[in-house]
Amino acid sequence: MINRHFKIGLRNITKNKGFFALNAGGLVIGLTAVLLITLWVQSELNFNKSLTNYNKIASVMQTQYRANDDIRTYTGQPMQLAPVLRKNFGNHLKYIATSTRSQNFTISYNGDMQKVKGRFSEPDLAHLLDLKMVAGNRKSLEDISSILISESAAKDIFGIEDAIGKSLKINSGLDVKVTGVYKDLPNNSSFEGLNFIAPWELLKKNAGYDKRLGWGNYWFQVFTQLSDESNLASTSNLIKNVFNENYINKNPNRDYQLFLQPISKWHLYSEFENGVNVGGRISYVKIFGVIGIFILLLACINFMNLSTAYALKRGKEVGVRKTLGSSRLQLIYQFFSESFIIIIFSFALALLLTYLLLPKFNLLTLKEMEMPFSSSSFWMICGVLILITAVLSSFYPSIYLSAFKPVKVLKGLVSGSKNEVRIRKSLIVVQFAISSILIIGTLTVITQINHAKDRPLGFDKELLVSVPINTSKVRNSFDVIKNELLASNNISEVTASDVKITAAYTTNGGSFEWKGKDPKLNAEFWTIRATEGFGKMINWKVLQGRDFSKKFPSDTLAFLMNETAVKYTGLENPVGEYIRWGNNGNYKVIGVVKDMVTRSPFDEITPSLFILHKGDFLSYVNVKIAADNPNAIEGAIDDLKATFQKYDPKNIFTYSFMDDEFERKFNSTSRVASLVSWFSLVAIFISCLGILGLSTYTALQRKKEIGIRKVLGATIYTIWELLSKQFIILVVISLLIALPIGYYFSSKWLLDYSYRIEINFWMFALVTFIILGITLLTVSYQAIKSAISNPVDALRTE
Amino acid sequence: MIQIKELEKYYKTEEVQTIALNKLSFEVKEGEFVAIMGPSGCGKSTLLNILGLLDDPDGGSFKFNGEEVAGYNERKRAQLRKHNVGFVFQSFNLIDELTVFENVELPLIYTGVKPAERKKRVEEVLEKMQIMHRRNHFPQQLSGGQQQRVAVARAVVNNPKLILADEPTGNLDSVNGNEVMDLLIDLNEAGTTIIMVTHSEHDAKYSHRIIRMLDGQKVTENILV
Repeated sequence: MINRHFKIGLRNITKNKGFFALNAGGLVIGLTAVLLITLWVQSELNFNKSLTNYNKIASVMQTQYRANDDIRTYTGQPMQLAPVLRKNFGNHLKYIATSTRSQNFTISYNGDMQKVKGRFSEPDLAHLLDLKMVAGNRKSLEDISSILISESAAKDIFGIEDAIGKSLKINSGLDVKVTGVYKDLPNNSSFEGLNFIAPWELLKKNAGYDKRLGWGNYWFQVFTQLSDESNLASTSNLIKNVFNENYINKNPNRDYQLFLQPISKWHLYSEFENGVNVGGRISYVKIFGVIGIFILLLACINFMNLSTAYALKRGKEVGVRKTLGSSRLQLIYQFFSESFIIIIFSFALALLLTYLLLPKFNLLTLKEMEMPFSSSSFWMICGVLILITAVLSSFYPSIYLSAFKPVKVLKGLVSGSKNEVRIRKSLIVVQFAISSILIIGTLTVITQINHAKDRPLGFDKELLVSVPINTSKVRNSFDVIKNELLASNNISEVTASDVKITAAYTTNGGSFEWKGKDPKLNAEFWTIRATEGFGKMINWKVLQGRDFSKKFPSDTLAFLMNETAVKYTGLENPVGEYIRWGNNGNYKVIGVVKDMVTRSPFDEITPSLFILHKGDFLSYVNVKIAADNPNAIEGAIDDLKATFQKYDPKNIFTYSFMDDEFERKFNSTSRVASLVSWFSLVAIFISCLGILGLSTYTALQRKKEIGIRKVLGATIYTIWELLSKQFIILVVISLLIALPIGYYFSSKWLLDYSYRIEINFWMFALVTFIILGITLLTVSYQAIKSAISNPVDALRTE
Repeated sequence: MIQIKELEKYYKTEEVQTIALNKLSFEVKEGEFVAIMGPSGCGKSTLLNILGLLDDPDGGSFKFNGEEVAGYNERKRAQLRKHNVGFVFQSFNLIDELTVFENVELPLIYTGVKPAERKKRVEEVLEKMQIMHRRNHFPQQLSGGQQQRVAVARAVVNNPKLILADEPTGNLDSVNGNEVMDLLIDLNEAGTTIIMVTHSEHDAKYSHRIIRMLDGQKVTENILV
């Protein structure tokens, strides 16, 4: 039976190649998009799952309840925390480890240097991650002079040599010996690319943390693996007050509450608002999940519409079969099997297309996904997808086709009932409403990104280069370095600062006092410390007062503040006022600068203070390149490199351009934008195939009518109008539905950004123009084809 | 075999009601060959559809083999139809996507005949209709006469008691038309009851009896043999 249906299905396909291409084409494209989205969603949901102890790993986080309902959540912890937890709750916590955040370090072997990503951590991390050792022993991390490196790092550093026992230097100062080589950690995880773990004790001793850092310096991460019999909620509750109980010099207005964040939430639920876990990337997963469902729905609607349109041609067959004794069920089965063949075929093609597109999709999503051909869950998802597609797209056509009355269809009278026509029209409305919503979304995202890109920064980011300061020798020799660099024709200005101008993330708070300050306000400012000339170099605008100057030695105890800080402090005439900064001293406000975008271009400007500084905090040397031409830029980099290699030969010279750094801030949003754009294109394309199918159906159904009208003198235009008008009406209805929905969701998405666009009338006008334009083009093709056909042919077929 | 009494059929649109069959009564005995004639719109095809259990009358009685079938639902009608009635249409109504063999095989599939038996019976009937050499061709590759022979083969493959022919020669030239009529005569002589709707006096003369209709009613009845 199946074999027979398959045979007939194939004959139908070869006989109606155009229809089949239209029908399967829409399905293939739709299913490919759905498969890509499925892979992406699966990869997001499976993040970290490949770690052995996934179900038991958590990080210790803290929520700070401050005055004025100010609640903040941090991943960072003081280094004193883990030992206390280990001592008091060791029976609940199988492993617990303090760790630095993962970052790039210079690793040198026999004078050869490389940048390698790694962490300093307590030994438990190796057990918690269940490192699979290729050589050596993971317990060896207990030795203060050991280092565990990944297999790929071993290959990079030592080539084919045996790594075990070899000596390495970390950041030119810390000597370690390789005591273990572990298999690279899984790609799709928080520990991806972690190429070494070095002993925490080594860093602590070397950096003198014991003397310097207290409970107030929550700079580190604490990872734990719960013991087999403990559960997360109760253990989280047990450790809740450990911070409060142990932090002796704690601010009495603050309450520090610890909690365990399970590894399952690190990636997708990383955002907290007022102490509540509000989500994070999971919203992207949801958005793309919904887009996937939309596209599947569109593809299925297409299939339905095209199949029922095609049914016109098969009316006679249904009539004959029924006359010869076929039951309705047998016909449903037949048509369902035929559709199923097309669906299976389309799915196979979609799989192939997905396989071919995956490398490009990986580039777009910055992932390393592979086709999970060996994963049973993937095939199960595929099975479910096929089933959903088959049910959504084939049931209605099968039932519709099998319901034809033989007496009527044998006379050639196939026409949809009012109800069927209504269903088909509603489906078109749904398709175009979905497409319009996606276009509105795409336009919103793209306009928002451009809006932020065009945002006036308040400073000049062009031709600015920052080089990180890795050693105190460079820091202490800044003046000499500056003079050397200024001797180059390629460099016009040189300064140093504690942060990059595009990434001013240092905040200071709690101890600021000024005249008229609300005593309850726990004031907090973003601070940028820099050497003299910084403002001139970035071309900031001093609105009141003056810039820092060598002429005033007292400027070491002076602030420049931005406009937002002026508003924040409430000082009416800030220049000349004093702001006390705890034990640091009484700072005089000497000037006000125009607000600058020093962090995310999507966020509000924060109250910021600029401080003249020439000491331990300096972390970057910044230079302005003298001229905007390739020679000057290349020359400046060469000069920088030469100078830095002279003063810091043991670290790899790295640098970054500030305009590139700024561009990079758009990476993740731009990625989302391009994904949404692509999927919107797919949605529109599928909808067009659908409307093409329906216009073909109408033209076929009204062939005789058109013939008669032409015989009676109708022009091409009137025929075109006759056939196109109904679709235009449908599309207008879909726009009326889509525009408010699109407006609602776009506005909601924009709320995530403080610096955002208003959704404007022109966006809706553009969507209307795009959708109507595409509809007209699609429908006109069929309408004009009918209009210029010879009426004699149409009348003869009757 | 067939008894209809005061059979009625109306076609209604929102504003107009057309009477297709107006209290029509007659009988057809087993083994008879009856021709039904009349001008276009007199109700011939409507009658044939009801006799063929494709359509349901709006009034009156219709007994098939002594069983009252007026009022049967579609499923019951289909059951009765597939075992007892074969159809021959003016426009052949072969399925374009199926070969000659598959077209003829179709009624056997719907009556649940096993594949081996199907093959045997289809080949037998194709031999009989002298179209065996075309068994793997598609309808559009055949001449009109050949197509109608296939249609007749399909109508008889299930050995139906009744064959309903709706202008079986209407789309054929006289040579092919005569061949088809000869086939029908052979079938009738072998015991199959035939009811044929036709415009052709020539074809009607092959039958035993001619019923002439006008406006849904029987006007005359000529017995030829």
